Amino acid sequence: MTDAIPVLRATGIEKSFGGRKVLKGIDLDAAKGEVISILGGSGSGKSTFLRCLNLLEMPDVGEISIAGTPAPLVRDRHGALRVSDARALGSMRARTAMVFQGFNLWSHMRVIDNVIAAPVHVHGMAREEAVERAHALLERVGMGGFAQHWPRQLSGGQQQRVAIARALATDPELMLFDEPTSALDPERVREVLDLMRSLAAEGRTMLVVTHEMAFARDVSTRVVHVREGRIESMGPPAQMFGPDASPAFRAFLSA
Amino acid sequence: MGGAAMNADVTFLADTALAIVRAVPVTLGLFVASAIGASLLGGGLVAALTAGLAPVRGIARGWIFLFRGTPLLLQIFMVYYGLAALGPVRQGPFWPAFRDPLFCAGLAMTCCCSAYIAEVLRGALAAIPAGQIEAALACGMGRVTRLRLIVLPQMLRLALPAYGNELVMMVKSTSLASTITVLDVTGVAQQVIAHSYRTLDVFCLAAGVYLGLTGALTALLRWAERRLDPTVSDGAGEGASR
Repeated sequence: MTDAIPVLRATGIEKSFGGRKVLKGIDLDAAKGEVISILGGSGSGKSTFLRCLNLLEMPDVGEISIAGTPAPLVRDRHGALRVSDARALGSMRARTAMVFQGFNLWSHMRVIDNVIAAPVHVHGMAREEAVERAHALLERVGMGGFAQHWPRQLSGGQQQRVAIARALATDPELMLFDEPTSALDPERVREVLDLMRSLAAEGRTMLVVTHEMAFARDVSTRVVHVREGRIESMGPPAQMFGPDASPAFRAFLSA
Repeated sequence: MGGAAMNADVTFLADTALAIVRAVPVTLGLFVASAIGASLLGGGLVAALTAGLAPVRGIARGWIFLFRGTPLLLQIFMVYYGLAALGPVRQGPFWPAFRDPLFCAGLAMTCCCSAYIAEVLRGALAAIPAGQIEAALACGMGRVTRLRLIVLPQMLRLALPAYGNELVMMVKSTSLASTITVLDVTGVAQQVIAHSYRTLDVFCLAAGVYLGLTGALTALLRWAERRLDPTVSDGAGEGASR
């Protein structure tokens, strides 16, 4: 198993915004079935790192590969990275899925159409099959009765569960969660976290940027602490939340 | 004899109303043709405004500056009287079109309103929340799919209220065509006034016809808004709680 190709391999990711270096060289591998919680203070660069992985943010330097396929990036004359092949980028993104802090359901589509959009229009699945699967997925996330609703008719927690169904609809090899519960009312956080727990239990490979310490401690296989654009420390939760944790992470936890 | 005068009144008003209603196809045709032309051209202008090539963007910006910055009445005069003064136009193959006042009014309206519609569409494009596009990118949608499935439908919804407003303005702007001899609703009304020296009641009849047209258009637009999203209620914001 140790020789297996990692689902994600990110090497030396650097990113600046307007002269301010947000990421100073991050390396991270994720093996199949791993659930990695990425923790860190605000401005530490954790969300930017996650968004670099599917190239919603273009890193300045670094390499990314998904299940062994490198991201189609080349260096232009000025040394900046740019996409070399839009089609290859599309198919790389199609193998991953992202769940956003603000849900980002397409507001002009009903719930069911949100869930079938990528399977039908990106993966070329037959509509009937996609609809059938979408109903099963909505059932799975506890939104079975809401297929014909519009996003704006749903609560935040409900929207996020639909967004997770949408992410699952393409059976992604890697799921990226960008603070999925941060925009929710406290009483809605649980319904989303419970769902994410069940995804972890079924062996999904997940990268989760979060502030939910209980989730990081109880669900993840690995905890990564990002501080000032670098991985300050990482390890299994037992180690990170135990007495041998790095002083910086302990300081972060007690802050 | 008071009865005879009133009878004459009723006859006059009925005849006038009939003449004005007969001119509705001209007004409506001018509106529909220039609305379609201006919408297509406006869409093209937005595509040009977002193009990668700077000269293309420059031409679109110049077009909008020119046609939004000058009065429509002047543009109509320039197309109808101005172009006719040019020899090449008179000798050219399109002279039959350019000597037709209705065509000239339609052309001027198309050019002028395309500038306004381009601005409406550009505003709508800019108002699409970034997250909607990011969600499309993140699942691997290509450029064309993104445009067709996400960008255009969202742009249409965001643009509809302002676009509808522009269309209502266009219905009323068609009346300017009467200044270059087009016998539209306003043109016929003025003709009747020239013969009868009665102004207020004739103009009121014409105004009533415009109200009918804009009222029908407004209802059509509201229907379209509802159809695009049944959860939209008049003037209300977000309906659901979190």
